[in-house]
Amino acid sequence: QEAAKYEKKVMVLDFVTPTPLGNSWGLGGTCVNVGCIPKKLMHQAALLGQALQDSRKFGWQFTEEVQHNWMTMTESVQNYIGSLNWGYRVALREKKVTYENAYGEFVGPHTVKATNRRGVEKLYTAERFLIATGERPRYLGIPGDKEYCISSDDLFSLPYCPGKTLVVGASYVALECAGFLAGLGLDVTVMVRSILLRGFDQDMANKIGEYMEEHGINFIREFVPIKVEQIEEGTPGRLKVVAKSTTGNQIIEGEYNTVLLAIGRDACTRKIGLDKVGVKINEKTGKIPVNDEEQTNVPYIYAVGDILEDKLELTPVAIQAGRLLAQRLYAGATSKCDYVNVPTTVFTPLEYGVCGYSEETAVEKFGEENIEVYHSHFWPLEWTVPSRDNNKCYAKIICNIQDNERVIGFHVLGPNAGEVTQGFAAAIKCGLTKEQLDSTLGIHPVCAEV
Amino acid sequence: MGWEEKQVRGYPEFVQTAQRYHGRPIFALFCGDKDAEGRSWCPDCVTAEPVVRKELHHMPDESVFIYCLVGDRAYWKDPNNEFRKNLKLTGVPTLLKYGTPQKLVEEECFKAELVRMLFTED
Repeated sequence: QEAAKYEKKVMVLDFVTPTPLGNSWGLGGTCVNVGCIPKKLMHQAALLGQALQDSRKFGWQFTEEVQHNWMTMTESVQNYIGSLNWGYRVALREKKVTYENAYGEFVGPHTVKATNRRGVEKLYTAERFLIATGERPRYLGIPGDKEYCISSDDLFSLPYCPGKTLVVGASYVALECAGFLAGLGLDVTVMVRSILLRGFDQDMANKIGEYMEEHGINFIREFVPIKVEQIEEGTPGRLKVVAKSTTGNQIIEGEYNTVLLAIGRDACTRKIGLDKVGVKINEKTGKIPVNDEEQTNVPYIYAVGDILEDKLELTPVAIQAGRLLAQRLYAGATSKCDYVNVPTTVFTPLEYGVCGYSEETAVEKFGEENIEVYHSHFWPLEWTVPSRDNNKCYAKIICNIQDNERVIGFHVLGPNAGEVTQGFAAAIKCGLTKEQLDSTLGIHPVCAEV
Repeated sequence: MGWEEKQVRGYPEFVQTAQRYHGRPIFALFCGDKDAEGRSWCPDCVTAEPVVRKELHHMPDESVFIYCLVGDRAYWKDPNNEFRKNLKLTGVPTLLKYGTPQKLVEEECFKAELVRMLFTED
């Protein structure tokens, strides 16, 4: 849309290869259809369940037992997503961007082939190309995985309640899904191969795990599934999962209605003909290395989003990179995308907001003697009356002593962590120091004043 | 078989007609009432109607096009009228594909390209 603003002739090729179970979706990419949007809505559904429980302590009286209806929630969520898909179609049309629901792949210099779902092929040439094909969930490669397991691609439009669920993985996708499924009243188990939230501050990751465990989510640590079998067909059916220990020879078995795989995502770069135009990719990870102007090794081909090597896999990052690229190419702008100090939030039952370095990375980069960590537990006022945990919410900042005690890492674990973190991200971008933070008066009574 | 048009006035008649054709693609254009000379109180509806009518032949076979007059200006301005409450309409004219989130509102209905997209979208 940005390039079209500058009078360039633009075309978008968007195509969703169906999941092993046949699921597909509309225009908008992962975030809109099978990522952030439905995730946050379902997380909200779970939070509302908790709020209903708390409400009794605040004086609300209701005698009926409150139930959750999966179909009602899913229908509402999918309806909203549908309106977003439609909104994008209208927006592209209005900005005169040509849209084709077809699978694009390079067939030669400056040329792509677009194949629609009926198999009809068309060729297009262009001056420049932008690849933003994103990623798809990885499967385990064990018997029964593609036939019986689901991924996040299937979960948000599942036409039946998943029931007793085994979530395989310890990524934020795994923990967020496990979190809201349990919040909706389902029996949830998380099977973890080694650590939680690799790449995130481990101190915070462990606190998240602890909280989830104390609130009814079972964790099976240091095991990996080796086989999934179907005991009974159904919606949901019954599945048997056999798992092996990563530290010994122990084998365990379990029965679940649904097995959700969330063990990682693989870049969609292997089947789009990159070899035909000479675009180098990291053979092991499938990611595309680019320079700081999002250009691949082939000058007329650019890439943004989750497929980039060593860049954060976040929607706002991809959007920003794309917009700035168009502005640099067609409007004479010079700003490059800033990948440092990008804030993000994990929407687990106890939300975690972060901007900047984890404690481990800060120590590694600056040396333990050069950083100072300030931290505090806090008890949200809203949690006092319903007697919810008084020592779980937590915040810490990491400061660089050598640079005026500049805040280089901000971490908060508590309700509305995303909202809290956003403001601090702006402050950190401006070079916030500990002294400035101390001299900022707090708003009372809110969690963020800590 | 092509497509057919049904003209209705008011919410209950609209719902009845939509239900009667359940199972077929249903497109609906909502406009303000017309006076004795056939002119609507809603100027945007006057502009949109010919644009929409010109694109009707793009609708898939078996489609039903419901042309619905919502009521007079006072009724429409009431924030609690049934169209606003139950169909979530926010303005007239509105052209929508019944049972889906796909719709075009106000000036969007003036654009033949968008209207065609609504009628032919999968």
